[in-house]
Amino acid sequence: MNNSFGRTVDGMCATLRSEVLTRLDDAFARGQVFGVINLLNTFKVRADWSAGFLLEQIGAQRIALDGVAALLEGQPSAALAPALPAGEVPQPVPIAELLAMREAGNRAIAQLLGWLDAQRASLSPELASAVETKLRTAMRAEVSIELKNSPRPLFAEMSSGSEA
Amino acid sequence: MSTLGDEAALAVKVSNYLAEQVGHAVQVGTVRRFPVGFSWLTYAVPVTGLKGGSDTEELILRLGPDYGLFAPYSADPQALAMRSLEGSVVPLPRAYWSSDDPSVFGAPFLFCEKVSGDAVVPWVSANEPGLEEGYRKQLATEFIDVLAALHRVSWQDKPIAALAGGVTAENAARVNVEYWETQIGRWAMRSYPLAEWGIRWLKAHCPVAPRVAIVHGDYRTGNFLEVDGHITSILDWELVHLGDPHEDLGWASLPMYMGGSKLISRLAEPDWFYSRYSEKVGFEVRVASVRYYQALSLLKLAATHMAAARCFEEGRFNDMRMPAMGSQIATCLRQMEKTIEASA
Repeated sequence: MNNSFGRTVDGMCATLRSEVLTRLDDAFARGQVFGVINLLNTFKVRADWSAGFLLEQIGAQRIALDGVAALLEGQPSAALAPALPAGEVPQPVPIAELLAMREAGNRAIAQLLGWLDAQRASLSPELASAVETKLRTAMRAEVSIELKNSPRPLFAEMSSGSEA
Repeated sequence: MSTLGDEAALAVKVSNYLAEQVGHAVQVGTVRRFPVGFSWLTYAVPVTGLKGGSDTEELILRLGPDYGLFAPYSADPQALAMRSLEGSVVPLPRAYWSSDDPSVFGAPFLFCEKVSGDAVVPWVSANEPGLEEGYRKQLATEFIDVLAALHRVSWQDKPIAALAGGVTAENAARVNVEYWETQIGRWAMRSYPLAEWGIRWLKAHCPVAPRVAIVHGDYRTGNFLEVDGHITSILDWELVHLGDPHEDLGWASLPMYMGGSKLISRLAEPDWFYSRYSEKVGFEVRVASVRYYQALSLLKLAATHMAAARCFEEGRFNDMRMPAMGSQIATCLRQMEKTIEASA
């Protein structure tokens, strides 16, 4: 794709609004279109083009450039060759792995909440409070980050099938 | 389930079923599905000859599909509630036929009267002007009075008593929290420590109910019809149960239903709401209980959104409103935490 991800999403939403909704009479179907727009808006703030195919392209370039550099080594004309970018191709972290890490962290936090409730009487009030503060800070951060990356939901539009 | 989503096939089945119920042939016109509702499917069904003549009347048919948000469904709670309240001052559609037998329409169903009126939308954009003052006040007065009337109903000798299940003023809150904890266990696709923290707090701070009452469970703007500022019908009884009446106050006053205003359900100033309700219902509203049930309501709402996310993820259906609901879990949990902090 040569267009940016965000602009592509904006274009799809605008087309649905101006070209599809204006020609659609059924209220339920219109509500569904607003549901699609709502989801596209979420993609805009949370997603981007896949890193996978970019890394594949960068990998192919790397092979070529490293290969050329090896061929030119010791050649007199190499001095006139352009400077080549160096560096390893980055290794992507699979999203599934990140999701599993977040889940493990959340499970640990939930277990610590249970432990804290059960052991509170045997802990000093300062320690119990400090542990609770740390856990709640993490819990708050999780939802705050999520909310920072959420568009305004289109519930009014989805329920009525009309622009609010 | 083949008839669900196929209005023409549904119309044929409805025609056969109604003919069997009334003992003569009826004609069913074009069945229309409403965009409202995130759970049960709601259809308008025009029927000619229901009472034997040539008159056409519209019925409402509600279907609880096995792929729905809170499936498996039962039509019993709403049918029991509607039958229990028939003839009371609580305006609601008359319930006709209902059953959980899937062989009829492929899902539990309820037929009821179609009541005229419009719904006030709870979700509005920030730029939307408020409701006209006289209209708002009139509607708010009825909104409060109807709720108080519902909570005054002596249900013990009515069909809805079948839902009692040992609920008492003392255990109503605990039973409720445990119910929603179980639902979260069923629906959540990942861990939500904030939900777990909220459940722990709710269990540790259960209030005693002033009485066990019929709780609508989803009492807010959007779930009633009105004509010229007068409520003609309270709708959507699928979450009805017996419990602490403060639960409906907590739910109705959620920020999600204020439409950017400071008014409960876009209608009533909180102080006035609580004082008028207290006067009409016959007990004093306990602010601490309202706050408690606001927190529980936010947990319920988060649970509902978890159900929506799971429903969509499992491919049970492709209603595009479901993933949008799923994206609101964090909003509900953050609001729940703030509500609990304000109560502590």
